[in-house]
Amino acid sequence: MTDSKYFTTTKKGEIFELKSELNNDKKEKKKEAVKKVIASMTVGKDVSALFPDVVNCMQTDNLELKKLVYLYLMNYAKSQPDMAIMAVNTFVKDCEDSNPLIRALAVRTMGCIRVDKITEYLCEPLRKCLKDEDPYVRKTAAVCVAKLYDISSSMVEDQGFLDQLKDLLSDSNPMVVANAVAALSEINEASASGQPLVELNSATINKLLTALNECTEWGQVFILDSLANYTPKDEREAQSICERITPRLAHANAAVVLSAIKVLMKLLEILSSDSDFCATLTKKLAPPLVTLLSSEPEVQYVALRNINLIVQKRPDILKHEMKVFFVKYNDPIYVKLEKLDIMIRLANQSNIAQVLSELKEYATEVDVDFVRKAVRAIGRCAIKVEPSAERCVSTLLELIQTKVNYVVQEAIVVIKDIFRKYPNKYESIISTLCENLDTLDEPEARASMVWIIGEYAERIDNADELLDSFLEGFQDENAQVQLQLLTAVVKLFLKRPADTQELVQHVLSLATQDSDNPDLRDRGFIYWRLLSTDPAAAKEVVLADKPLISEETDLLEPTLLDELICHISSLASVYHKPPTAFVEGRSAGVRKSLPNRVAESDSNNHHEATVIPNQESLIGDLLSMDIGAPMPPVVPSAAPTSNIDLLSGGLDILLGGGPPAADPIGTTGLLGDIFGLNTTTNTMVSVPKITWLPAEKGKGLEIQGTFARRGGHVFMDMTFTNKAMQAMNGFAIQLNKNSFGLVPGAPLQVPSLPPSQTAEVSLQLNATGPVQRMEPINNLQIAVKNNVDVFYFACLVHGHTLFAEDGQLDKRVFLSTWKEIPAANEVQYNLHGIVGNADAVAARMTANNVFTIAKRNVEGQDMLYQSLKLENNVWVLLELKLAPGSSEGTLSLKSRSVEVAQMIFTAYDIIIKSS
Amino acid sequence: MGGLISYFRGLLGSREMRILILGLDGAGKTTILYRLQVGEVVTTIPTIGFNVEQVTYKNLKFQVWDLGGQTSIRPYWRCYYSNTDAIIYVVDSADKDRIGISKDELLYMLREEELAGAILLVLANKQDIEGCLSVAEVHQALGLDALKNRTFQIFKTSATKGEGLDQAMDWLSNVLQSKK
Repeated sequence: MTDSKYFTTTKKGEIFELKSELNNDKKEKKKEAVKKVIASMTVGKDVSALFPDVVNCMQTDNLELKKLVYLYLMNYAKSQPDMAIMAVNTFVKDCEDSNPLIRALAVRTMGCIRVDKITEYLCEPLRKCLKDEDPYVRKTAAVCVAKLYDISSSMVEDQGFLDQLKDLLSDSNPMVVANAVAALSEINEASASGQPLVELNSATINKLLTALNECTEWGQVFILDSLANYTPKDEREAQSICERITPRLAHANAAVVLSAIKVLMKLLEILSSDSDFCATLTKKLAPPLVTLLSSEPEVQYVALRNINLIVQKRPDILKHEMKVFFVKYNDPIYVKLEKLDIMIRLANQSNIAQVLSELKEYATEVDVDFVRKAVRAIGRCAIKVEPSAERCVSTLLELIQTKVNYVVQEAIVVIKDIFRKYPNKYESIISTLCENLDTLDEPEARASMVWIIGEYAERIDNADELLDSFLEGFQDENAQVQLQLLTAVVKLFLKRPADTQELVQHVLSLATQDSDNPDLRDRGFIYWRLLSTDPAAAKEVVLADKPLISEETDLLEPTLLDELICHISSLASVYHKPPTAFVEGRSAGVRKSLPNRVAESDSNNHHEATVIPNQESLIGDLLSMDIGAPMPPVVPSAAPTSNIDLLSGGLDILLGGGPPAADPIGTTGLLGDIFGLNTTTNTMVSVPKITWLPAEKGKGLEIQGTFARRGGHVFMDMTFTNKAMQAMNGFAIQLNKNSFGLVPGAPLQVPSLPPSQTAEVSLQLNATGPVQRMEPINNLQIAVKNNVDVFYFACLVHGHTLFAEDGQLDKRVFLSTWKEIPAANEVQYNLHGIVGNADAVAARMTANNVFTIAKRNVEGQDMLYQSLKLENNVWVLLELKLAPGSSEGTLSLKSRSVEVAQMIFTAYDIIIKSS
Repeated sequence: MGGLISYFRGLLGSREMRILILGLDGAGKTTILYRLQVGEVVTTIPTIGFNVEQVTYKNLKFQVWDLGGQTSIRPYWRCYYSNTDAIIYVVDSADKDRIGISKDELLYMLREEELAGAILLVLANKQDIEGCLSVAEVHQALGLDALKNRTFQIFKTSATKGEGLDQAMDWLSNVLQSKK
């Protein structure tokens, strides 16, 4: 007998028994059997072998049995994709059943069966169910469309399900509307192009707002979430949406409340901030947020994480609600820590006394983590609220007196920061700190203490002894402490060279010879070299003034904050990370951002310059671009009559068609010839300056500016105005990495500016710097430094200033390139208010480096074929269709980098309207 | 003894007969099923899967399974063979091109061990269409002459007009009843 017997199926065992029971004639027996199968499935036994037998039980008038079979199908259809086709006919029949429950059940289950072979058969039943007379069936079918989109997006688009779904937005039943909204937003988010497939318009928004009041709480959440993705066309619409949403703030469901807050936070961006409406709305936001804090701790935590964002974006909302963030003794630790964070963000001069007394209380709690954070919080308060610094320091001193080890250590760490923020103010407490030297055992505290000793070595008599005592165990110290020790000893030596030579030699040899840490070794060598070659230089380097530390150390980066505000009431707002950071497969999606305020009518289509607040990561970025580098000598004279200045800047303005200067016209023509510029009637378009940095954001410095193109270069023309009471000097400029790699071609030449004086500056930009894609593409982030501070703002480079002079394409090349570029890269745009006929337009375009390759007349319309090249060597091909006698035109753009389209359309608008 | 039990069962009419309706796609299986059940012609779409209905004919209860006839579904017919009392094999008499395939499917099916005891009823359907094969021709084309050890009969029917179905069902119920 061979071993093959082991492989022959014995007709015994559980599966076989179940099989025969499933084929039993009696319905009751069948139902029992299916229940047994489901039970096995639930505990993880593989009962997929019973697939055909279970499917055969599907056609039954018993609802319970049907549900069980459906459950089985959802689980095993994937493992039996071929056999699953046998279930199709039953689905089709069930979708036409007289019982709406069965119709809905069938369409719901169908959506869960992710088998390609049968998906195509589901379209017809789904289409019927979307038009079902029963709302329950319609609302289930709406969700099924979203499921189908996940399986096969093309099928949903081709079969017109999107339109049907859109129709459901106007359904009479609010639950159907809610589900249709939910399905649409899911589809929009998952769309492969990253662009929403279905845009909401004000009519649908109106319907949604009506449905909002009538549907269930989760339906309300869906509707509110999709309202958050809608940008109202004007302030009036935004106001009316706000008014209709505000009642949701009183809802009992925390999710509804948070979603409503999200929508309102977004709409607040559109409303003008000084209106009464805005003020009342802001007031209305506080109570619901406070109410959330009386729910269970988990909800509280989510609320607090969201509040943390809201407080950073709009501190006004909760400025009077400090008390609710006071920690309760029985709060869980995660709630306590989060509350503490918000307390500091809300701290200001008026409530600091209250906050400090609370924090002091917390510092005596038992939970070590919480106590540490509380002590740090005191330090942060001192740095944030200047008038309270004194009180904070004395509180910290009191805490140090408690001699509780970890309290002392945290206190020393934050006192170091306070020293940095307020130099020469609180050094009297150093002696108290030194008393606690022996108790410090954590690296951060030890490093901080060593830094303090080094920094104030001249005031500490026994600094050398103290440092020497640290050196004994140098090898065992943490790297952080070792680095600080090295620096501190060198500082000490530079301050008191006489009696510390031995010490410095000791530490240098420890760092360079006995250490394996490359950072430490390198720092050691640098100091050694400095000290041995030029002690005076060493002094300048090592004892140089340190930049003040920033007040807001842990604010979120503004663009990230804006994105997170759009994700309030989702996991992203709890993690404080954008969804792309933790949701797999959604990287292609569009990142949400807050809407821009609707531009005022007289702003000439210019985006307002945005001022970027001080921000640490940005500073880091800019620092690497050596903004702190010593300034080249400033050109002494800046009088507009000077010839030198004419060449360097003033004339450029003139040639660019800027404000007329008092120079004789002959000079202009002459220099124009030198530059080889076309100085006929058609000149390069100039755009008037707009305010980039208002005086109130620039501590008295106002910068107005624009961009122009002269002699083949982009120029940044700026007017610096000093509106402060003191003189300003030491100007420097840096550009952040940008889409076209623009960097200053020369240092900024701004003379010392006495109060209420103005200086005109023209800065040549070269496209040779590092490139980073910006949004919008022509966005440019600028940092300007003077003796007062560093200021950050952003502006948009005018597209036409980026058009290069060699942008003329050969006819044949144009034709073949136009054909080569796929149709997907073609964008259309409608132009209005065109001045002059086609030839005049073409001439004006040529003056701005947009070259007309060919002109044809097709059916009474003038077609101009044009090419241009951007500074970054991106070619753009255009077809401009003009109807003679009309001021309207159609522009088709083709480029391999089609993201530049919007910028070019704006440039066309500007050029075409100039005369 | 066994005869006595089946006699009583026959009186009570308790046991349902299990009948399969098979045949190529578009032969008229679903139309026949609903003609038998509700006595009307219903509009049908291609059956992707199966239909199962209770049919009572002359006090006999049948559980009739109508299986889809498309190529992709034919392999699953065998899942339905066990305990089958009778097979109604429907042939589209007007579809001369595919009668050969129909024959192959029939023979392939009859070779199954599980169907050894099943009665075969062949319906030469769509007799209303002009130019269709006659019963004899269908008989010939399916090679029914060669069948051995099988109770079978062939009828000409038109499901849409309701012709011939009664005779066929009469024959089937008689055979099934006498078999008990």
